[in-house]
Amino acid sequence: MRRLASAPEALVGLGILAALTVMALAASMLFPGDPLAIKGAPLLPPFQDWSLPLGTDRLGRDVLAELFHGARASLAVGLAAAAAAIAVGAVVGTLAGFAGGIVDEALMRITDAFQTVPSFLLALAFVSVVGPSLTVVVIAIALSAWTGPARVARAEVLSIRERDFVAGARVIGMHPLEIALREVLPNALPPVLALSSVIVASAILIEAALSFLGLGDPNRVTWGGMIAEGRTVLRSAPFLSIVPGIALVLTVLGVYLAGEGVVEGTAVRKGLS
Amino acid sequence: MSDFSLTRRSVLSGAALLLASTALPTIGRAQEPQKGGRLTVAADSEPRNLNPAIVASNGVFFISSKIVEPLAEADYEGKDGLSPRLAVSWEGSEDGKSVTFKLREGVTWHDGKPFTSADVAFSALQIWKPLQNLGRVVFKDLEAIETPDEHTAVFKFAKPTPFQLIRNALPALTSVVPKHVYENGKIEENPANTAPIGTGPFKFAEHKAGQYYRLEKNAAYWGKSEPNLDEIVYQVLPDRSAAANALEAEEIQLAAFSAVPLADLDRISKVPGLKVVTKGYEGLTYQLVVEINHRRKELADVKVRQAIAHAIDRDFVVKTIFLGYAETATGPVPKNDKQFYTPDVPAYAFDVAKANALLDEAGYKPGADGKRFKLKLLPAPYFNETKQFGDYLRQALAAIGIDAELVNNDSAAHMKAVYTDHAFDLAVGPPVFRGDPAISTTILAQSGIPDGVPFSNQGGYKNADIDAIIAKAAETLDAKARTDLYKEFQKKVVEDLPFINVADWTFISVASDKVGNIADNPRWAVSNWSDTWLAQ
Repeated sequence: MRRLASAPEALVGLGILAALTVMALAASMLFPGDPLAIKGAPLLPPFQDWSLPLGTDRLGRDVLAELFHGARASLAVGLAAAAAAIAVGAVVGTLAGFAGGIVDEALMRITDAFQTVPSFLLALAFVSVVGPSLTVVVIAIALSAWTGPARVARAEVLSIRERDFVAGARVIGMHPLEIALREVLPNALPPVLALSSVIVASAILIEAALSFLGLGDPNRVTWGGMIAEGRTVLRSAPFLSIVPGIALVLTVLGVYLAGEGVVEGTAVRKGLS
Repeated sequence: MSDFSLTRRSVLSGAALLLASTALPTIGRAQEPQKGGRLTVAADSEPRNLNPAIVASNGVFFISSKIVEPLAEADYEGKDGLSPRLAVSWEGSEDGKSVTFKLREGVTWHDGKPFTSADVAFSALQIWKPLQNLGRVVFKDLEAIETPDEHTAVFKFAKPTPFQLIRNALPALTSVVPKHVYENGKIEENPANTAPIGTGPFKFAEHKAGQYYRLEKNAAYWGKSEPNLDEIVYQVLPDRSAAANALEAEEIQLAAFSAVPLADLDRISKVPGLKVVTKGYEGLTYQLVVEINHRRKELADVKVRQAIAHAIDRDFVVKTIFLGYAETATGPVPKNDKQFYTPDVPAYAFDVAKANALLDEAGYKPGADGKRFKLKLLPAPYFNETKQFGDYLRQALAAIGIDAELVNNDSAAHMKAVYTDHAFDLAVGPPVFRGDPAISTTILAQSGIPDGVPFSNQGGYKNADIDAIIAKAAETLDAKARTDLYKEFQKKVVEDLPFINVADWTFISVASDKVGNIADNPRWAVSNWSDTWLAQ
């Protein structure tokens, strides 16, 4: 924590993330019921009516309630997609690096294949075929994000597998798969985890972009969906796009800053030891 | 000195005239159409096939109606709401088995050949009846066409066909194309489908894909005077917000078919030099309809359907979603239809308590979580308004304990899900009222329609009474009796609710003040624009 304090931007990032988490957790307490319910006159500008502080959208829905519930969708998608991408990537990378030979070749060529398709295009194609829902969006994002962790994990495993403790494990007769997953993988994990902030941030953006294009879950509020809704009235009610836009920018910024801080913190620790 | 005072007086009077002219710009201009100029118009879609005889749709008419003309056009004042185009008169026989058209003389095609009754006979028998989306229904019993002379065509029907229906179908269904161009080869593959040849006031000049269509004045037009405009250019602007910006930048002079989003109209009506025109679309009324899948046991109960009708606040829909640019609907015929509309139908006032009571009566009591049952709701993706109404309907249903899950699809997937696979409980659709219930309205309630016909009864609804009325009206020749049958049809539909009509809307044009003679007939955007003019 002391080391983090030495990087003020990391504190800012963590602060934003903490606020976001509180928003997401408090959403259903502060704004119970469906955030898409119609609460007042349509297109009420912000700061006019204090029961609806951020105003209302085209149908008269409470923008603040939508913002809070949207934080939930954004965080959920970001974290779930990153967790899935890192889990799949780490396992694929470890297996490839540890097994070597034909297995390595095969897995890495598959990784290449996924990497050559632009990640957003892949997500777009997947969602439009399977149909939009939150789980599908998470899978779609993870599908394009697991390649980075897989490459980093493989590189790490290539150096670890030559170490003495791996040779020792072999000598005592451990099954190679057991060595790979129980001995090598945990040691290869830290640099892979450092990728998580990048993945979370891009997942949040991809989710927003999908919702903006109308491929989000229509039964949930998402910030991307709010921006898309506001776009039709951009000239007459710009706040409808600006408010969720700012929330999106702050979130991605917070995730990046906090991630940066954590990476730098661990680097300092390594340098000291 | 006297010279000076004279000068001052003339300056004053000149200034007064100037003031008057700015105060009444449209009146001053409307009296004296000017010749020449190029009208640039926003086009939001880019149809490949421009043959209106095959594809009778507004997207095609918007461009091709200036080139290819129908037998008659809709009119605000004319007899039966029509004004003559390629036909000068039409008369139905007593037995309903023949209709005689007297055709206009002295009309030539854009390639110089004369227009004759052979062209009409060819278009009707080879294109309208077998190939056209709407003509297949209206002309299904057309057997032969006699052409006693070059300017008379007698349509012969195998079964009595109401003359009123044929009359109402004239503007949209009877675009005449030249026989000499189409008689050889496959009609669907004829090059004239993409570069049409007609008799209209404008000739097709060129189409640059992704950029524009250009039409040129037809100096040999049959009309009293030649068309006012030299050129019409359709600028392809698929993004809706682009149309408003292009108007303000004076790059285009007209955006029809609500190319400017409704939410922008209030702002743009205050821009000097631009006007918002709500007239000129009465013959193209779209209907906001909740389509119902009667295969769901809950929805097969008329009480549940009535409860849904009571749960919808139609005034809210018109005021908030359509921003006032729509009318609340009372039934399957829109209020602006002069021939068939009747207000004498049951009314479903917005009443949540009554809706809840009806659902209780039907036996669907709310569970512990306040929900009665779940539904899948598919709003059509074609219009912003249908999507927004989907969002609203989900909330309106939540208020009466029905948990609706929205499913968004793209156009093709929506068509397949609703009209072919029937994978919906409720859907929001925008069918079009085309001036006669028999053309495209009765199929929303009629049973026995094959799977895959868009905007038809695909909800498995079957009502022998309604089917009987539709069948009887199809063979009733007397206009009055036929109209009464359709009034009865409206009453029965609203009583039993095979579908729920919520609102009727037409389009809005935004035009530069320089454009004259716009919206002068009920299908103006898809009519020939021969008298439209541009102030230089």
